[in-house]
Amino acid sequence: MKKLWRDMSRGDCSVILVLFLIALIGLFWQANAPTGARLIVGDGDQVSFTAELHQEQTVDLEGPLGVTRLNISDGAARILASPCPRKICISMGSVQRSGELLACVPNRILVRIEGVAEEGVDYDLLSR
Amino acid sequence: MTCSAAKEQQLEQARRHVFLALLIAVAISIHTVESLLPTPLPWLRLGLANSVAVVALYLYGPRAAWSVNLARVGLGALLLGRLFSPGFWLALAGCLVATSLMVGLHRRFPDWLTPIGVSVAGAAGHAFGQLLAARLLLVSHDAIWQVLPALLMFSLGAGIVTGWVALRVLREIRRHPLFRQLSKAEADDQTGEQALQ
Repeated sequence: MKKLWRDMSRGDCSVILVLFLIALIGLFWQANAPTGARLIVGDGDQVSFTAELHQEQTVDLEGPLGVTRLNISDGAARILASPCPRKICISMGSVQRSGELLACVPNRILVRIEGVAEEGVDYDLLSR
Repeated sequence: MTCSAAKEQQLEQARRHVFLALLIAVAISIHTVESLLPTPLPWLRLGLANSVAVVALYLYGPRAAWSVNLARVGLGALLLGRLFSPGFWLALAGCLVATSLMVGLHRRFPDWLTPIGVSVAGAAGHAFGQLLAARLLLVSHDAIWQVLPALLMFSLGAGIVTGWVALRVLREIRRHPLFRQLSKAEADDQTGEQALQ
């Protein structure tokens, strides 16, 4: 590591620092995005399915390769099964913040979270 | 027996051709092996073949770097059976952005940056270019940019590693008498600097 430090020039450090800050800011911005309200499934501009995030459901999405199973529960969405070879979409885990996405590229499924969850959307009724 | 300057030039040209071919071969080999290694995500690799292009850039100039990188993407894809596949277009786009960035930065700041900085810029450019191609060809929605911050972080690390490799290789290579830098690009640079002074 010390050798690496000696080999780097001031210019290197500047470039690395700038890129690092850009990435860091991006990460922070994503982590602080508001909790989403709904999800939209679509490919390009065509929307094939939408749902509210607070409704529990499991839905099958059709794609060129087959059926990708999407599950919504606890205000988050995740892919349960998909016919793609590498199952990356499943490994993307659960998403709930606005702007997040799940994508199965081979099966052409793109799930994105939009909107801002309103306060109290978890409750059907709130009484005082 | 006399050795004229012209002969030396010819020899250097021939040497340049041969070594460029060798560099391209090395880059393609590295690229192929890297592509065959298992990765958690596809297309997420160290990009070690890019360090060969950085070496070529520093030794022989921008056109050499372009040759190495374009050949690496094209022939590498051909050998792996991925020519004109989606992954190929992503790699090509990333390579175009990366190489332009590296060449431009090296030309503009030849002393301020080391191969490490150039390589980091290349890695970041590659990530950006790939995402741009993915946005245009595969995903058709701006949501793809969500992966940019994480990908950028990764490419920073990868760029530092490959840049350091390029730096060490350059250091060792330059010691060899065959690389006494009589190449045309260096000569042009030197005359250019003298003209400015």
